[in-house]
Amino acid sequence: MIQRRPLWALAFVLPAVAIYLILIIYPLIQGGWLSLTDSQIGNAGNFVGVSNFAHAAADSTVRKAIVTTISYAAVVVIVQNLIGLALARALYNRPRIRRAVSVLILLPTLMSAVMAGFVWSSLYSPDGAINVLLRTVGFGGVTRVWLGDPSTALWAIALVNVWMFCGYSAAIFLAGYMNMPAEITEAATLDGASGFRRFWSVEWPLLAPALTVNVTLALIGSLKVFELPLVLTNGGPAGSTTTLSILIYQKIFGGQGTFAYGATIALILLAIVVIFAMGAQTVLRRRERRI
Amino acid sequence: MVLTSSPVHTKIVRRRRARRPISTRVGDVLLALAVFLILLPFAFTVLTALRTRADVAANPISFPRAVTLDNFVQVYAKINYGVGLINSVIILLGSLILVIVIGALAAYPLARITRGWTTGIYRIFIAGSTVPIFVILAPFYLLERDFGLLNSYQGVIFGYTALNLPVAIFFYTSFFRQIPEELEEAASLDGAGPLRVFFLILFPLLRPITATLATFLTLSIWNDLVLPLVFLQEPSMQTVMVNAYNLIGPYNVDPTVLFPAALLGVAPLVLVFILLQRQVVSGLTMGAGK
Repeated sequence: MIQRRPLWALAFVLPAVAIYLILIIYPLIQGGWLSLTDSQIGNAGNFVGVSNFAHAAADSTVRKAIVTTISYAAVVVIVQNLIGLALARALYNRPRIRRAVSVLILLPTLMSAVMAGFVWSSLYSPDGAINVLLRTVGFGGVTRVWLGDPSTALWAIALVNVWMFCGYSAAIFLAGYMNMPAEITEAATLDGASGFRRFWSVEWPLLAPALTVNVTLALIGSLKVFELPLVLTNGGPAGSTTTLSILIYQKIFGGQGTFAYGATIALILLAIVVIFAMGAQTVLRRRERRI
Repeated sequence: MVLTSSPVHTKIVRRRRARRPISTRVGDVLLALAVFLILLPFAFTVLTALRTRADVAANPISFPRAVTLDNFVQVYAKINYGVGLINSVIILLGSLILVIVIGALAAYPLARITRGWTTGIYRIFIAGSTVPIFVILAPFYLLERDFGLLNSYQGVIFGYTALNLPVAIFFYTSFFRQIPEELEEAASLDGAGPLRVFFLILFPLLRPITATLATFLTLSIWNDLVLPLVFLQEPSMQTVMVNAYNLIGPYNVDPTVLFPAALLGVAPLVLVFILLQRQVVSGLTMGAGK
């Protein structure tokens, strides 16, 4: 009935649009404007053209944060989905334990990043459980201050991210498995396809929608990662875990008088998220249609 | 007949199980190992939280020799858990109600009118779900400051409402498309206006998807640190997450403080999870099988 009442349709959409315009679209535009000023602590500031962007382009901290963020996202997206896919396939083939186990491995997903950070900052600490365990089993030489070593800190954080969400990724792949048309999987069984061949030519193509969802979610989530590095390392050691989100937070609220510069880096983050998310979406959706 | 055939049947089943290929058994072991590793940090957290500080300091990895709840009692007071819990629940409920009502209202015409201006609006909403909070944090802060919303529950609630409207509209729009239009037509022939039709006929039909959406939103709002951290400075208004976050000092990695805090923070969600398992799983995997 709403189709024949255009004014009512407008009224129904209005609250959502108003909130969205005021709280998302306007701040986006305002952020664009702020990045063209020299605002220090949120004051209006003077128009300075693109000098913030020029500054950012030459700023090695920003460049390093971009590399850090993208390599973090790449590792998380790949490892998390590989583990999630393996778990989902194992559970799909074991119907009796499927439900119980898929619920159990979702537990870390319930944890907030702050809480997961608590648990892992203790596990990773110099005399924490991981190092003690390594020493006990005779790998004392491998022990290190996992979060205090610039060569391991970022990957240690990525591992926490994977731990939190591999069960989630598995749940999405499992939903994809459960949605496979029975005729096709039965035909594959009758043809005697098994093992890798069955996975590669039957299951993998049919999992395309689940893969799209998983990659998109993991990509967006890991490109804007903030709480984990904040709690585990606060961006250190030596800036090795300063992701773009951490950098923006430091510039805006760190009392450095760099409010406008923070807004500039925020736009760089937006550009990166949009480019990667849209790129992945385009490639994956095209693949879905081809299949 | 049933009696005679059943032993044969069991024999076949037994033989089949004995012949399970090696690759399947290797898979069993790997799966068990993976699940064990995923759950290990949890088990370790619970077991360590129950031990005394001296015991943990002497031997970081061990089963509790004597179970104590002292750590929980101390952390409970330290992070002002009771007050934080109330604040978190106020913010959560306020955001849920706004997101659900406003999102469902908007989704109705967006789902029913598939030509013209509605598709554009729908696309803009969906695109908005990719905008990271950090991109709009600075202007968002200024906006809330100018409206006098800093240090108020409303400020945070409006923030969550705006940030979560895209996902609500996505959920509800796809659900509305599955509801046949005849229902509303019949009601409108009886003289009911759009508002009555929406709230008396359609909204009750949305119950299952609303439960799914609500659990999904609960996870993300309850666990969020950024909005309350930035917009609430008043300690008496802080949420559980921010109060727990404030425990973290540069050298504070004492598991008998951090572990109980982590468990207190996740406890309400685990409770929700146990009660609403089905909704949580479907909420998290929504959109995976289209």
